[in-house]
Amino acid sequence: MKQIILWIVGHLFPVWRALGADPDQLKAIVSVKLTMDNRRSYATLGRYGQQKEGKEKNSQFLIVLGTYAFFGLFTGLGMLVAPPKEAIFFPLTISFAYTMVFCAMTLLSDFSSLILDSSDNQIILPRPVSSRTLLMARIVHIAGYLFSIALALSLVGLLVVAIRFGPLAGLMFLTMNVLAAMLMVFLTNVFYLLLMQFTSEERLREIINYFQIIVAVLFYGSYQLLPRLMNVENMTEALDWQNWFYALPPMWMAGAVEMVIQPVFDPRHVVLLVLAVVTPFAGLWFMNRVLGPVFNARLAGLEQDSRPAQTESRNSEKTSSLMQRLSDLLTNNPLERAAFGFIWRITNRDRKFKLKTYPQMAFGLVYIVFMTLGGSKDVFARSNFFYLFALYYTGLFVMTAQYQLSASDDYKAAWVYGSTPISRPGEILSGGMKALIVKLLIPFYALVASYILFYFGLGKSGDVLLAFVNSLNMTMVSALISERRLPFSMAQDVIQRNNTARGLVVFVILTLVGAAHWGLSYVPYGVWGAIPLSMGVYWYLFRQYRQTTWSQIALE
Amino acid sequence: MIGTTPVIQITNLHKYYGTTHVLKGIDLSVEAGQVVGYIGPNGAGKSTTLKTLIGLLTDFAGEVRVLGHDVKADPIAVKSRIGYVPENASLYDTLTPMEYLQFIGQLYGMDNETIERRAFDLLKLFELKDYVDARMTTFSKGMRQKVLLISGLLHNPELLFLDEPLSGLDANAVVLVKAIIRQLADSGKTVFYSSHIMDVVEKISDRIIIIAQGQIIADGTFAELQQQHSGSLEQLFGQLTGSDDQQDVATEFIQTLSK
Repeated sequence: MKQIILWIVGHLFPVWRALGADPDQLKAIVSVKLTMDNRRSYATLGRYGQQKEGKEKNSQFLIVLGTYAFFGLFTGLGMLVAPPKEAIFFPLTISFAYTMVFCAMTLLSDFSSLILDSSDNQIILPRPVSSRTLLMARIVHIAGYLFSIALALSLVGLLVVAIRFGPLAGLMFLTMNVLAAMLMVFLTNVFYLLLMQFTSEERLREIINYFQIIVAVLFYGSYQLLPRLMNVENMTEALDWQNWFYALPPMWMAGAVEMVIQPVFDPRHVVLLVLAVVTPFAGLWFMNRVLGPVFNARLAGLEQDSRPAQTESRNSEKTSSLMQRLSDLLTNNPLERAAFGFIWRITNRDRKFKLKTYPQMAFGLVYIVFMTLGGSKDVFARSNFFYLFALYYTGLFVMTAQYQLSASDDYKAAWVYGSTPISRPGEILSGGMKALIVKLLIPFYALVASYILFYFGLGKSGDVLLAFVNSLNMTMVSALISERRLPFSMAQDVIQRNNTARGLVVFVILTLVGAAHWGLSYVPYGVWGAIPLSMGVYWYLFRQYRQTTWSQIALE
Repeated sequence: MIGTTPVIQITNLHKYYGTTHVLKGIDLSVEAGQVVGYIGPNGAGKSTTLKTLIGLLTDFAGEVRVLGHDVKADPIAVKSRIGYVPENASLYDTLTPMEYLQFIGQLYGMDNETIERRAFDLLKLFELKDYVDARMTTFSKGMRQKVLLISGLLHNPELLFLDEPLSGLDANAVVLVKAIIRQLADSGKTVFYSSHIMDVVEKISDRIIIIAQGQIIADGTFAELQQQHSGSLEQLFGQLTGSDDQQDVATEFIQTLSK
């Protein structure tokens, strides 16, 4: 991968020179960045960066490429095999739209830290490197990954097109996919720049964080959406041409490929071809000449000498906030109270934590609503089983959150646990657990529960209550059987190990408890009878958790 | 005439961050062959001045010339002839020192052979010979600082900007780096550095410049400064920057602990 990219970079020296970059410097920067990507174990590259230590192979990225190729299988086979030659335009459009959406999502979520990374500014800009060279190097670096993704996605489509319509059409399809990826690099840059225009620097990172969450939800959601898309009935019919089609980039690419497939050569297709070819290059040129300098200056502002924000001087009398009142109500010793407030605040502010937990929550909600609305013909969605599934899914989300709680980028700050005289660390754990339950589980569960009650009727309130207590129990069990770690005391990649085994155990327990609950729902008063029992179990488990001693805590 | 052209020439430099006026009219001229200590309290504008001088910040008002080049018009020319070691600097620590230095050297357009030879010898002199091919993730702060110092000096610059150059170094390395700074100046190069450690500044600087709230409030050799206020540089600094009542603050601090 690295060698291929460097080989290409090395053979394009005149291009870089024409674009105003120093080719040798550019190659040096790209080379170093790729080397670092291969070695990094932390997640600068999102899903692509994680891998085992010591190995210097980007095998993780290959796996991701494989996944994308698998996705491409759907569009490739589902869209491009069946439609007759005359009606190929719309399926082609869908296929290109898919490439574009995936590229854009990748750029906005996983690569955003790469795009917004300003450590380059500290290390490279004090050297005699022009900002244009640096910009080009960054684009080449990102484009290398993006083109691979675009190629993986279009691989099956490429084969289908080449076999059905000949190698020339295949070549056109390939070229257009690369151009589509290129266009997305440009559009995302514009998007970031617009965001930077309208928001302050601190807000920007916040907004991008939420954006990443939305993108992650869309990403999961597309697994659901895709099979439904393929049921579009007019897939095999030719599409009536509308003039506003000129405004849709996937249509450009599709038009260009159709031109070769049919073959046709009319003004409309020529316009589409020109748009498809010229826009990405014009975008690249514009980015290089106009956006680049602005972008870098803005980026420099992101971290440069950000002055400490001053707030109005507080008086020592505390105003009683919601958090304070809850913690007075729910905790009964200072250590637990400290952990409650600590976790309440950090889960509010830590972007990584939010990024790891919130997408699951949002996706769960979307999924539940989607299943009940869209899939009303679905037997599964109607069944007794489904609402239980939805309720327990909510519990699963809190388990993830509880697990994530031990990870932080500032894990080194955990030395305070060691330097302060804490004799019962279990109270920190229990305080944190209370904060999680009150802050994340209860509101989210209430939301799901009210939807279920609204949709399936109030008769299910017993199930809702039992599932709630059971969810609490499962969270406790999961916390008790995993390595117990103090909040925010581990590096992200440490907690990622052993994840699979734990996930499996949790899944088994979830299935057993869910099945038991399902069985009980056929016994008269079974559900209501089980609630006090389950609460008793919870009381016991929580006490166990709270009595965690130092020897039970994993310190790494 | 080389001797008469100052290596650094700042005229009426103003710099704003948003609406905050950070530098309020700096005028400064530095001759070659000097060690200049540039000191001031946190937030006084030290790093901003340094970043302006090395061509990182170009949206300022006033004129800044370094080695005869206008920083605003030709930052690349400036950057290729100076060395810069920032404070708390990040480096790409997944690389080995040799890989990192090769990368930096390439950015200066040096040929690989020279880089490798020079980097290896310098690392050896800094007692990092056994770590040449080890990844820097495990390096201590002092080891990183040594690599950073080398990366700033690798291309043999005429003018060197150092921000807190001794941070994290052990006592022996401090002595070594101080000697290097001295000998660089004796060989005709110029070292412009900022630090919070007053004893060091007092001992190795040919000239001391104190900046507070964006303005230069004192400028001269240590002996010249002492004519205004006697005592050590630390005391002098306190008086000039208006924090000479630290003893009283300390007393209050102790009392608050037992309240």
